[in-house]
Amino acid sequence: MSLAIQTELKEKAATPAEGLVDKVTVRHLNFYYGQYRALADINVNLYLNKVTAFIGPSGCGKSTLLRIINRIYDLYPNQRADGEVLLDGTNVLSPKQDLNLLRAKVGMVFQKPTPFPMTIYDNIAFGVRLYEQLPKADLDARVEDSLRRGALWDEVKDKLDASGLSLSGGQQQRLCIARTVAIRPEVILLDEPCSALDPISTAKIEELIDVLKRDYTIAIVTHNMQQAARTSDYTAFMYLGELVEFDNTTQIFTNPRMERTQDYITGRFG
Amino acid sequence: MDTHEHIVRSYEEELSALNNKIAKMGGLAEQVLGQSIDALEGRDPDLAAATIQQDEAIDELEKEIEEQAIVMIARRQPLAYDLRQIMAALRISTDLERIGDLGKNIAKRALAVVGEQQPKQLMLGLKHMGELALGQLKEVLDAYIERDADRALKVWYRDEDIDAMYNSLFRELLTYMMEDPRNIGLCTHLLFGAKNIERIGDHATNIAETVYFLVHGNTITDQRPKSDTTSSTPVPLRSAG
Amino acid sequence: MALPQVMRRYAGRRRSNFIATALSIGAAGFGLTWLFLILTVLVIKGVGGLNLAVFTEMTPPPGGTGGLLNAIVGSLILTVLAVLFGTPLGILAGTYMAEYGRYAKLTMVVRFINDILLSAPSIVVGLFVYEIMVAQMGHFSAWAGAVALAMLVIPVVVRTTEDMLLLVPNTLREASSALGLPRWIVIRDVAYRAARAGMITGVLLAVARITGETAPLLFTALNNQFFSWNFNAPMSSLPVVIFQFALSPYEDWQQLAWTGALLITATVLGLSILARTLASKMVPL
Repeated sequence: MSLAIQTELKEKAATPAEGLVDKVTVRHLNFYYGQYRALADINVNLYLNKVTAFIGPSGCGKSTLLRIINRIYDLYPNQRADGEVLLDGTNVLSPKQDLNLLRAKVGMVFQKPTPFPMTIYDNIAFGVRLYEQLPKADLDARVEDSLRRGALWDEVKDKLDASGLSLSGGQQQRLCIARTVAIRPEVILLDEPCSALDPISTAKIEELIDVLKRDYTIAIVTHNMQQAARTSDYTAFMYLGELVEFDNTTQIFTNPRMERTQDYITGRFG
Repeated sequence: MDTHEHIVRSYEEELSALNNKIAKMGGLAEQVLGQSIDALEGRDPDLAAATIQQDEAIDELEKEIEEQAIVMIARRQPLAYDLRQIMAALRISTDLERIGDLGKNIAKRALAVVGEQQPKQLMLGLKHMGELALGQLKEVLDAYIERDADRALKVWYRDEDIDAMYNSLFRELLTYMMEDPRNIGLCTHLLFGAKNIERIGDHATNIAETVYFLVHGNTITDQRPKSDTTSSTPVPLRSAG
Repeated sequence: MALPQVMRRYAGRRRSNFIATALSIGAAGFGLTWLFLILTVLVIKGVGGLNLAVFTEMTPPPGGTGGLLNAIVGSLILTVLAVLFGTPLGILAGTYMAEYGRYAKLTMVVRFINDILLSAPSIVVGLFVYEIMVAQMGHFSAWAGAVALAMLVIPVVVRTTEDMLLLVPNTLREASSALGLPRWIVIRDVAYRAARAGMITGVLLAVARITGETAPLLFTALNNQFFSWNFNAPMSSLPVVIFQFALSPYEDWQQLAWTGALLITATVLGLSILARTLASKMVPL
């Protein structure tokens, strides 16, 4: 890639276009597993109330990048990040950042559905109870609202006392999404949320993303190119720990600027 | 454009097949055009009849290309360059099919005027225009095969020449018809023939636009220089005789 | 595919398969036979002396009649105390190893030592507690006995707690952390709940282990012919009583010893069944 195009792309990532608000700004981010550098000088933006998709071959670092935004990598030793990740202007990588507060603002849904070993009601209420002291009626309302936002209410309203593990895979994943929105985050990170699901559940979740983006800023990592093309407004293509191209989704999938991007999305990886 | 091949070989083969069908269709269209001009100029009714038959093959190919394109879109969900290739194939096949029909029409006119006296000057003009159009067609099809947007752009600009020729032929034919009413029959056929050739030139520029889009991913932003003024050429009122 | 040499090799493989299967079944049968024999002898010899007196009267003097009341109660007291001392320590240690200190070097060291203690000869544990408690205090006591048994409980509970917590998938922890929940809540409300069945099974297995331990008690709680609530004094227990009575020349004592052995076996059997049922009923994952 020519230096001129590289610079232009970096500048493009740094300055948001008309009408777009930066919610999360990543600047000069490097990430290390021990001595191994997994991410190199990443610069990318997540715009407010837009869906940004991260695509790329296995091992390119897209999940790693996502897990930096809510600092979930902190649970493990020997992993460190340097650079800046600004959430509304505050650098979340700073040691002064309160991790629990960060994760209350930035929610995450994982590839494998992980309902807690509790009732469906408790799955949702569990997180809420920690942050807010709500009287029972309000808590009930919050649980119902979250399940509605997760497009699950109609299917479980009569069995809120059933174990969360008794639901089907697609329902469990929607439960996880409902659980995440219950604590009113601002950003939602989705790490391959539909990989383990059948096409109908996948479609329901894609519809969900379309509705959720009105109120939340969403980032989604996916292996499925068509899903990225369907659901996102902006797409970032990553390869071997670098951000190769970042642009609006239509541009990336009809006329990408980098040959490597085109090779990847058309299935021509040599 | 692409240094790599598709990981799934059958996808790559399908794209090649589509490409080849366009090339074949283009070759047939060139043949139809060339032969119909020769038939008109050489007053050869057998050649004209054979040319009319050949248009069927072109129509067949258009159907095949359209079918294959739809199947590929459904099965492969093509993106970026692949998507543009398939859309280009669809559009070019439409243009080539029209070119084939127009050529067939010229051949039909050749059959119609076969018995008449044909003024040398007019026929030369028509032949020259036909050769120009054929040249454009050959050039733009080469540009498609080579994926050369610059060559396509040249074709796009050169359509001016055909339009200019058409303007002068139009005037000549008008003059001829006004001089002697017995010429009206012949001249009308020749006029339609000339119009068809001018339309073929336009279709060639359509193909050029498609090739440019295929290569660059966006459309030509310039305004195409259109200089066909025949629609606004006034007819001088003169008393007959 | 159906070539003669292929079929020959296949036939050879079938023969080997048959031989191996036969040997496995034979070995299992051999083991089971002995187990069955032991149980049968135990039941036959023990049932004879099983009557209400066993549960209501104290151990008799040589040649007299009586029961096992003080031994049974003594064993219960010692077991309960051992579990009360050992379980919290074991669970907390296991939690540290699996949660907070999973990647710490200290954890590797602790795990290694724990595995050694797991198979430590119980008589060594008994001698150790004798040295630090009985010798210091100047007399045998139930406290010392409980401590010795607790030292046998802890490694088992540590091991099972750590293993069960390690089995809880990390995605569950990540999912709860991602909600912004503090570490200890993630452990208490998510990890523990998921590993609940396994951890309880661990405690039950520890209890089953110490139910029959005799050697440590010999050096710590000793024995007591009479019924006693005094924790600061020697306390009787079933295993020690069996030891004493079985080696004696008195028939009444020998009968009581068989009955005691039957009681212990029944208790261990009951605990194991309970552990297994709980484990299968409470499977959360």
